[in-house]
Amino acid sequence: MNSIDQLIEQGVRGVAKRTSRRGFLERIGALIAGTAVTLPLLPVARGEQASEAAGDEDGSSAIKETGDPLSCDYWRYCAIDGFLCGCCGGSHDACPPGSQMSRVTWIGTCENPADGKSYIISYNDCCGKSSCGNCLCNRNERDRPIYRSPTANDINWCLDTDSAIYHCTTARLIGLALDQ
Amino acid sequence: MRRLTALAALALAMVGVTAHADDHRGRINYMLHCQGCHLPDGAGVADRIPQLKDFVGLYLHDENGRAFVINVSGVATAPLPDDQLSELINWVLLSFSGKELPKPFRPYTAGEVSELRKHQEPDPAARRKRILERLRTSRPDLEIPQAEAEYSSD
Repeated sequence: MNSIDQLIEQGVRGVAKRTSRRGFLERIGALIAGTAVTLPLLPVARGEQASEAAGDEDGSSAIKETGDPLSCDYWRYCAIDGFLCGCCGGSHDACPPGSQMSRVTWIGTCENPADGKSYIISYNDCCGKSSCGNCLCNRNERDRPIYRSPTANDINWCLDTDSAIYHCTTARLIGLALDQ
Repeated sequence: MRRLTALAALALAMVGVTAHADDHRGRINYMLHCQGCHLPDGAGVADRIPQLKDFVGLYLHDENGRAFVINVSGVATAPLPDDQLSELINWVLLSFSGKELPKPFRPYTAGEVSELRKHQEPDPAARRKRILERLRTSRPDLEIPQAEAEYSSD
């Protein structure tokens, strides 16, 4: 028993000689700070997970795209009417932190200039924060009057979120459209 | 005989291919015309958007319910020709509510949809309630959930 005590004491003294307490704290601090940078700790919209599970079934996440998602000219925005979430702290397919993605949405098709094919785009609104106000984009291809509500982009689609306050709009690619 | 078998195999293969193509078009049309509100899995939103998943097939146990599925405004006025609309509705029924359907399931035809969509239901909530109450009495084995009959908005 005595020999085990001695062995442990020698080991602990060895560690104490080779290291400093500050060095230990420094490494712990670096680990915590590094985690904060690499892992997203901010809240993520709840609707996104559910709708993403249904999307990209046609391998559409691997398609070739060109253009700038922060510009209204970006091909996925052909039927959008709202503030681009990429200019509001989110991206073209994710809500800014603190807002919630509406699962109820309006859906259209846009032609991708990179491959000439039409894709199905889901314009999910992000809700629960006041209007973002940046990068207003209003294009309206195949938009219909409001009495055809499923294909009208003038209405507030924050319909199944905790709050009906509109913040910005995403343009999520959910599949390949049929050849017309 | 061998030639006959080959022809039969070819015919079967063609039916298979056609059915597959229609299934795909039905699914894409669902995404374009229905999914925005009814959601990708047909779950709907409680008290706001009718649930299709594990439910819509129940209507077909009642002849008036079968008509109702086509009479509701979202279906009757969908911007699709009769053949694509019947294909879409059959796809929804089989994909989201296969176990609730009557056996054997009689798919909608383009002709049936063409007739039924001429009559758009002005008060879907009231008619839905009547159909489900009737079914609850006549077919207690279907175990229709109470909450759906109390659904009031559309």
